[in-house]
Amino acid sequence: MNAVLATYLRELRAYFFSPLAYVVLFFFLVINGFIFIGMVSFLSDPRAQGGSPMTYFIPATGFMSLLILGVALTMRLISEELRSGSIEVLMTAPVTEGQVVAGKYLAVLTFYAFLWLPTLAYPLVISAYEKMDWGPVAAGYFGLLALGAYLLAVGVFASSVTRSQLLAAIITAVLILLLFLLSWFGDVFNGAVTKQVFEYLNLGTHLDEFAKGIVDTRRLVYYGSGTLFFLFLATRALEDRKWR
Amino acid sequence: MIEAQNLSRRYGDFTAVDGISFSVREGEILGMLGPNGAGKTTTIRMITGFLPPTSGRVTVDGKDLLDSPREARRQLGYLPENVALYTEMRVREYLAYRARLEGLSRAEAAQAIPVAIERCLLGDVRDQIIGTLSKGYRQRVGLATAILHNPRVLVLDEPTVGLDPRQIISIRELIRELGRQHTLLLSTHILPEVELLCDRVVIIDGGRIIAEGTPQSLRESWTGNPSIRVTLKDGPADAGEALDRIPGVVGIALLADGAWRLECERGADPREEIFRAAVANGWTLLELARERGATLEDIFVRLTTHDAADAAVTPSMPDEQEVVS
Repeated sequence: MNAVLATYLRELRAYFFSPLAYVVLFFFLVINGFIFIGMVSFLSDPRAQGGSPMTYFIPATGFMSLLILGVALTMRLISEELRSGSIEVLMTAPVTEGQVVAGKYLAVLTFYAFLWLPTLAYPLVISAYEKMDWGPVAAGYFGLLALGAYLLAVGVFASSVTRSQLLAAIITAVLILLLFLLSWFGDVFNGAVTKQVFEYLNLGTHLDEFAKGIVDTRRLVYYGSGTLFFLFLATRALEDRKWR
Repeated sequence: MIEAQNLSRRYGDFTAVDGISFSVREGEILGMLGPNGAGKTTTIRMITGFLPPTSGRVTVDGKDLLDSPREARRQLGYLPENVALYTEMRVREYLAYRARLEGLSRAEAAQAIPVAIERCLLGDVRDQIIGTLSKGYRQRVGLATAILHNPRVLVLDEPTVGLDPRQIISIRELIRELGRQHTLLLSTHILPEVELLCDRVVIIDGGRIIAEGTPQSLRESWTGNPSIRVTLKDGPADAGEALDRIPGVVGIALLADGAWRLECERGADPREEIFRAAVANGWTLLELARERGATLEDIFVRLTTHDAADAAVTPSMPDEQEVVS
């Protein structure tokens, strides 16, 4: 446990001390700020149909944020250790591959959650002027966290298979895109079961559900098992490095 | 302390290490010598548990590295060939992180970190960001992390590579200092380093051990008998016979420049008898010197140069020709 904690704290420190984190944070907030302004002015229009602000905000920011953050936050996590060779002193300490992966994953998840924190100002601003329904807000943010947890695990896996950050970034981006567009592939197959499987795995519509305030446990089971699966693959990839 | 039994490592079809067995004894400094590509780093990575061996086994302090990796690794401090550190951290922070990773408690770390900083002479840079340090200092940071958990064995892979001469001297001093408290396994391709630091040497080439022993015994076993060079004024005719009778001398040779080379029994030093013989016979002694035997470097080059592997064992002296034997 100590080893997980040591890795976790060191990675978290690395995020907060690296310029990349602040660049990501800056642009993340700029873009979300624009989305928020656009949403508010749209909903302020007397002709607007209305509805919960979350059903506008989450789909607008969700996919893009998950893709960009999923790639940017995870790409150096393990591949940089492989490239620089620091993996050698790391793995000769009395720690296991699983502990290293766990520590790094928890650190990136924490930083990811931290990035969303400032955007909580938006519902607070709205609640100052309008009556706010906090249910969908809670569900929407929970959905972003749960989906983020899954996609960051995908990124950690991609980072563990290559010493090139660029390649890790590309692999992550492609996998995330695939997971969002899986229903397209479902349409290719006529078989009802195959189609169902693809629809179940497809992430495209999940955020809309969360934004409406629906927390579907099937989704949570899927994210949970997906997260564990990719973290397991990352651990195996690190172990496999020894046998080549 | 370290027991390596029949270690082999293959990368695909390529055999990097081929059945190496050796042991590092408690308290000694063992040098692992070999040209680049001989399999030193692969061997060391197997000993530190970074690479599992294809076959064979390693025990550290009696604990098997594959069966109980954590216990075995706790007794090991490792400085890899390329010291890769987290460059955005400060020295003190990095050591604190490593202490936690090694499983030291807060109290143990609070004690161990200042000690490591002091022993590796890092006091001046303890608050500096690692990325701003010179290679010599980074090497010391690497050494500090290796001794942090007070392991019984330190494994250092080419610790002076890429350093400037002054840094090399200070790192060597540090290594010798560390050798007083830890058992040390030191890999290098630099010969003077071995002669300066090591109690025992293992020479590796082509993934096998080709020689093993103290630097002294290696030199002796590969140089043949010690010899003494004697020059007498005017080259008295009966000198050869008289010199040959001196106890301890097993053979004599008259060299082209008029000097005699006396081959002596191992361990014999008949210089005093030679002097007395000269006085008794009324010769004028111009020169009386022990000849430099082969250095470890000669042996190393001979052992690891493959096309000359079958060449004679006695060192050839191209500037002197033997005319009598």
